[in-house]
Amino acid sequence: MTAVEPRAAGTMQELLRRLDDLNGIQVRGAPAGDTVTVSVPPGELEAAVHRLAGPGGARLADMFAADGDAATLRLVWGIDGGAAAGPRYLITESVLDGQQYPALSDIAPAAFVEECEIYEQFAIRPATAKPLNRLMLPPHGAAELPRLGHQPARPAEEVHALRTVGGQAFEFPFGPVRQAGVETLYYGIVTSGEEIVDLYLFTWHKHRGVEWRLRGRTPREAAFFVERAEGLSAVALGWAFAAAAEAAAGTGPPPPAARTRAVALELERLYNHAAAIAGLCQATGLTVGQSAAEIALERLLRLNAAVFGHRYLFGVVEPGGTRREPDGEALRRGLPGAYGELCRATDALLRTNSFLDRLEATGILTAEQVRRLGLVGPVARAAGLAVDARQASSSGDGQPQGNPYAGCPVRVATGDGGDVLARFRVMLAEAAESVRLIGDLLDAGTGAGVAALDTGGAVRSGLGWAESPRGEALAWVALDGSGRITRARLRPASARNWRGFDDACRSQNVFTDIPIIEASFWLTVAGMAR
Amino acid sequence: MSREDLTMTPNGNVGPAGGPGPASSAEGGRTPASGTGDVARELRQRIAGQFGRSLHIRTLDTGSCAVCEQEIRLLAAPHYDLHRLGFFFTPAPRHADLLLVTGPMIRAMDVAARKTYEAMPGPKVVVATGACALGGIYPEDPFVHGDAGKVLPVDVWIPGCPPSPLALLHGLLVAVGRLAEKTPGLTFLADGETR
Repeated sequence: MTAVEPRAAGTMQELLRRLDDLNGIQVRGAPAGDTVTVSVPPGELEAAVHRLAGPGGARLADMFAADGDAATLRLVWGIDGGAAAGPRYLITESVLDGQQYPALSDIAPAAFVEECEIYEQFAIRPATAKPLNRLMLPPHGAAELPRLGHQPARPAEEVHALRTVGGQAFEFPFGPVRQAGVETLYYGIVTSGEEIVDLYLFTWHKHRGVEWRLRGRTPREAAFFVERAEGLSAVALGWAFAAAAEAAAGTGPPPPAARTRAVALELERLYNHAAAIAGLCQATGLTVGQSAAEIALERLLRLNAAVFGHRYLFGVVEPGGTRREPDGEALRRGLPGAYGELCRATDALLRTNSFLDRLEATGILTAEQVRRLGLVGPVARAAGLAVDARQASSSGDGQPQGNPYAGCPVRVATGDGGDVLARFRVMLAEAAESVRLIGDLLDAGTGAGVAALDTGGAVRSGLGWAESPRGEALAWVALDGSGRITRARLRPASARNWRGFDDACRSQNVFTDIPIIEASFWLTVAGMAR
Repeated sequence: MSREDLTMTPNGNVGPAGGPGPASSAEGGRTPASGTGDVARELRQRIAGQFGRSLHIRTLDTGSCAVCEQEIRLLAAPHYDLHRLGFFFTPAPRHADLLLVTGPMIRAMDVAARKTYEAMPGPKVVVATGACALGGIYPEDPFVHGDAGKVLPVDVWIPGCPPSPLALLHGLLVAVGRLAEKTPGLTFLADGETR
């Protein structure tokens, strides 16, 4: 396993220089902050995206719209250069003057899913004839469902894969109700009988309108729904959302409270990776390994309950900080045993050739595919991209984001195969790193504490992030003068990484590889559909 | 013993009141049979012992946050091992006795939920699992019904966000009793007996 320092990439200064000669560009944001916002006139948006997404540029991390007097389109660009690169996120903001914007997914393919989502929710579309898929709203009764913006004149299209390929392939529908204890998801698998020719997903069965529900609530009220948008990332998504609200209010958690969040986040990573490994064993038919991993998983969940009072760490993070102090003694006492259980299972798995052979060369995603689709988390790191939202930024402690990892730098684990085996190895290395970080964070001092969120009557917005077990989770929050949410955007890692799933399944894989690939991605439909 | 005695009682036991239930049926099975009534009784006890708690579970996610599913998966893990109680997950609704429903019953799942329920043979029970399915998280609105009971005939409710695997096991055992109440009398015939 290679654990490498983050690679140097484009810096914020360099990226801003690329935009220098465009007309009407306005840079906002505190120079010492983690986030810089740039206003880009719609006429210059295409050129700006060309420059930002170009070689050595930034990663398109998210794209979303907000409704107001005019629709505003925001693109979030991630700068993955670690501490040396300066501020970590660049937001471009464009107030549109019509119902159209340039076809950004032609330049940055990572934008396509969001183009579909924005069309469904706001009736704004890219200037292209490309069909836009149905993503969130179901085909029946969609007209009556509340949206974040306006209903499009024409409904989104039900785009399936090609139904036949040279007369040899057929489409095999699977879902939405699947096997026991698995989330609702519809697969359309185009197959010639064994090989996966194409695969597409319907995730709208689980859309609960979470972003719509957050409007008009205070961040504290909203946090309840945010945690339940993707329960397996309750800490990460809750943290991203809380950090966004804190950035909007220009405050941050007290450093001990920030470290408490980080302890919870690492515990969340540990149990998720244990669960993913159990899932990999189940998918490969290795019952002994599955049971061994599940013993570790159960012990980790009980440890969560002992340390924070909830098996899935609900309620630990709240906007402004945390009210729960971890039981450090219980954690130091219980963690070695629970993690040791996981190591016993994974050491045996690493000696089991029938298991490793099944993972090797399965579900390959190349670094280029990962970059093109803007994937995050272990999926990206297994392909060699050191994308990790925990990397210390230039701001360090004391800034609104209050990065608790600044004092305990994260060694980012990467792989190079891009296959399921590489993802498995990355998860193992990350679990070890999480255990080390928990020790360091406890040594540095954890505690409870909540900062007041006061926007001072001003209309403010902010971006927050956290590294969930499945990758970077982002949230963007706009608050009105009374401190209530006017628009909250939640982008859990699942909302990113499902778009790489079909590519991973297509690459020379057969039917029985799908559950293995799904376990190695370890995503939720709940997070995707929200 | 008359055939009328060979009915399943509400507590899940098969046999006359106070007779051996599933737990003691192994010993009962070893008792030498005498007469046709005993043969029928032995057969009945064996079946009760082997299948009395054989319950096949189908899960249905109607919009959960994925945590209830994680706890349900852990039911089969060594700490809880629901197989020792004769419970099994089934990948097909047509083999299922029990529907374990999670989530706030999203309207987009109406058709799938109805089809799943209708595909199950009777007698069947529905168990609403977790705070969402109990109506504790999402109010009724255009996206969701808000609780599982608005769409499916729920027999047992398991609270918790999420319910722990032990709470799930408890709920399943309660559901077995409800299933027994719904089960009509078994109709084993003694040798030579006719309807």
